[in-house]
Amino acid sequence: MSSLAVIGRLEKDAHTRIIDVDTDFTMDQVVEACLAPAVGYQARHPKPGAMLRVRPTTDTDDADPFPRSMTVAEARLRHFQQIDIYVSDD
Amino acid sequence: MPLLERSAWYDIARDTNWTPKYVEVDELFPPDQSDPYGIPVAEWETFDEPYKVSYREYVSVQREKDAGAYSVKAALARSSYYEDADPAYLSMLKLHYGAIALSEYAACQSDARMTRFSKAPGMRNMATFGMLDELRHGQIQLYFPHQLVSLDRQFDWAHQAHHSKNWAAIAGRHALDDVMMTRDAVTTSVMLNFAFETGLTNIQMIGLSADAANMGDFTFSNLITSIQSDEARHAQIGTPVLEIMVRNGRKAEAQQAVDIAFWRIHRIFAILTGIPMDYWIPLEKRDRSFKEYMTEFVGEQFERQLLDLGLERPWYWDIFLEDVETHHHCQAAATWAWRNTLWWNPTGNVGPRERAWLEEKYPGWNDTFGMYWDVMIENIRAGHPEKSEAVGMPAMCNMCQIPISNKGGTVWQARAYQLEYEGRLYSFCSTVCKWIFELEPSRYKTFNTIADRMYNGEISPNTPENILQYMGSGVISQGGRDAHDLAWVRAYDEPGATPRLVAGS
Repeated sequence: MSSLAVIGRLEKDAHTRIIDVDTDFTMDQVVEACLAPAVGYQARHPKPGAMLRVRPTTDTDDADPFPRSMTVAEARLRHFQQIDIYVSDD
Repeated sequence: MPLLERSAWYDIARDTNWTPKYVEVDELFPPDQSDPYGIPVAEWETFDEPYKVSYREYVSVQREKDAGAYSVKAALARSSYYEDADPAYLSMLKLHYGAIALSEYAACQSDARMTRFSKAPGMRNMATFGMLDELRHGQIQLYFPHQLVSLDRQFDWAHQAHHSKNWAAIAGRHALDDVMMTRDAVTTSVMLNFAFETGLTNIQMIGLSADAANMGDFTFSNLITSIQSDEARHAQIGTPVLEIMVRNGRKAEAQQAVDIAFWRIHRIFAILTGIPMDYWIPLEKRDRSFKEYMTEFVGEQFERQLLDLGLERPWYWDIFLEDVETHHHCQAAATWAWRNTLWWNPTGNVGPRERAWLEEKYPGWNDTFGMYWDVMIENIRAGHPEKSEAVGMPAMCNMCQIPISNKGGTVWQARAYQLEYEGRLYSFCSTVCKWIFELEPSRYKTFNTIADRMYNGEISPNTPENILQYMGSGVISQGGRDAHDLAWVRAYDEPGATPRLVAGS
C-alpha cells in the first residue's frame, strides 16, 4: 500500500482539490476521501442520498465511471490526475 | 548663462545615436537582450515618445509630487486614522503593499534593461525616466507602510512578501518574472508598458484610490494617484514600440506578447483589486463594482487602444470577460476560507445587504458563489466557526499559481485543464494559462507550485503546520484571520435577513 495525490473535482464544488488516497482504496473510498474536505466546509453534497461515482475527467464529462470496487492501483491513477466525483443515475 | 528652452534642443538630443566602431552591433545589443525581431536601427530611430520631458523638468516635477505626497502623509500622521480604521480596509493596504512595493523595484530593473538594451535612443531616454519612476514607487511604497509596522506586524510583508515563499507572493513573482524580468527589451516594453501598465494599472491605482478617498484615507489615495501620474508617462513607451513592430511585419509577435501579458496580469490584479472593491470596502463607501471598473478602463479604453494600433482583442476575450465576473469571486471565498495562509486579514463581509448588492452587480451570484458562503455562514451560526476554515489544499494552476476554482453551487464549472509534457502532468485554471505554457514549455516546465512542493519533498513533512511555516505564515507575522472576527455574520440574526440560509436550501 502506498499513497497518491489526485485532483478531485466534486460535482458543483467551486474548487478542485488535492486528495490523498491510498493505492488500495476502492472507488467508493475515493469518493469518501473527496467528500471529506469539501462537504460541510464550503460545499454541499451534490445530491444527498444519491450514488456518487468516480470517472476520469474528460473535455466532454462523459467518460465511463470506474467500477466501484476497483482500486486506485487497478485504475492506474497517476499523481495529480484529475478525477470527477459526480452524481450517477446508476 | 541663460538656459535654453527645451524646444530649442530636445529634438536634437532625444534621438542621439551612433554606430559602434570598436564592437559589433550585436555585441552592444545582443538580440536576446535587445531586439530579437531584427528590426532595422533606422526604424527604431523613428521611436517618438508621446510625452517629452527633460531631466531638469523631471527632477522639478517629481520633487513637487514627492513634496505633495509626503506632506499629506506627514499632516495626516498626526491623526489616528490608521489606529481607528476599519480592519478590513487595513487589509487592503497590507495586500497592496505586500504585492506591489518590491514589484516596483523589480520594474525598475525592467526599465533599466530597456535603458541599456533598447536600440531606439528615444526609448532609452524614456526608459531612464521610467527606471527612476519605479525606484520612486518602490521607495515610497516601502516608506509609507513602514510607519504602520509598529501598529500591525502584518505590514512588514510590504518588504518581506517578495522574499517569502507565500503562495500569493509566488503567484505575483511568477507573473512578473514572466512578463517583465526575463525577456528582451522590446518584448518587455510591450508586456510591461503596454499590456500591464496601460491596460491594467489604472484599475488598481485609480479605482482603488477612489475607494480609499471614500474611506477617508487621503494619505493612500493621494499616494497612489501620484504614482499613477508617473505611470501615465512611462507606460507610453509601449505604444511607439508596438507601432514600429506592426509596421515592420511583427504584428503577430506583438499580438502574442500582449495576449500573454494581459492575461497573466489580469489573473493577479483581479485578486489584488477585485476582492477589496467588491467585498472589503464597506457597502456605503463603494464607488463602483470591479466589473464596472474593468468594463470602463479595460473593456472600453484598452480595447480601443489595441484596435487603434492595428492589433486585435486577445483571442480569449470572451473568456476574459467571463473571468472578470468569476475569478475574483472564487478567490474572495477561497482566500477567506484559507485565510491562515495569508499575510492580511480578509473579511467575509457577506451579509444580507452585501449579498443583495453582489446579486445586483453580478446576477446569479447567490446561486453560485453565494452557496459557497452559505455553508460557511451556517457553520459559524451553528457555533462551529472552526469549520469555516478550509481543510486540505486546492489544486494550483501550474501557470498563474492560483487555486483552480470556478463557479459552483447550482453549476459545475471548476475544472483543471491538464496537459502531459515530458511525462509530467500539468494542471491549469483555464485554456488561456494552458495556451501560455504550450507556447514555450521549456520556459515553464521546471517550476513547482506550492502543491507540487508538498509532494516533491521540498516541503517536508507536508503537514499543515509545516506548509504555513514554509510560506512565512506565523514566521513574518501571524497568518490571516477574519478582519472583523466574524461580527458581520450577526447581520443574519436581524429581522428580515434573507431566509435562504436554511440547511439544504
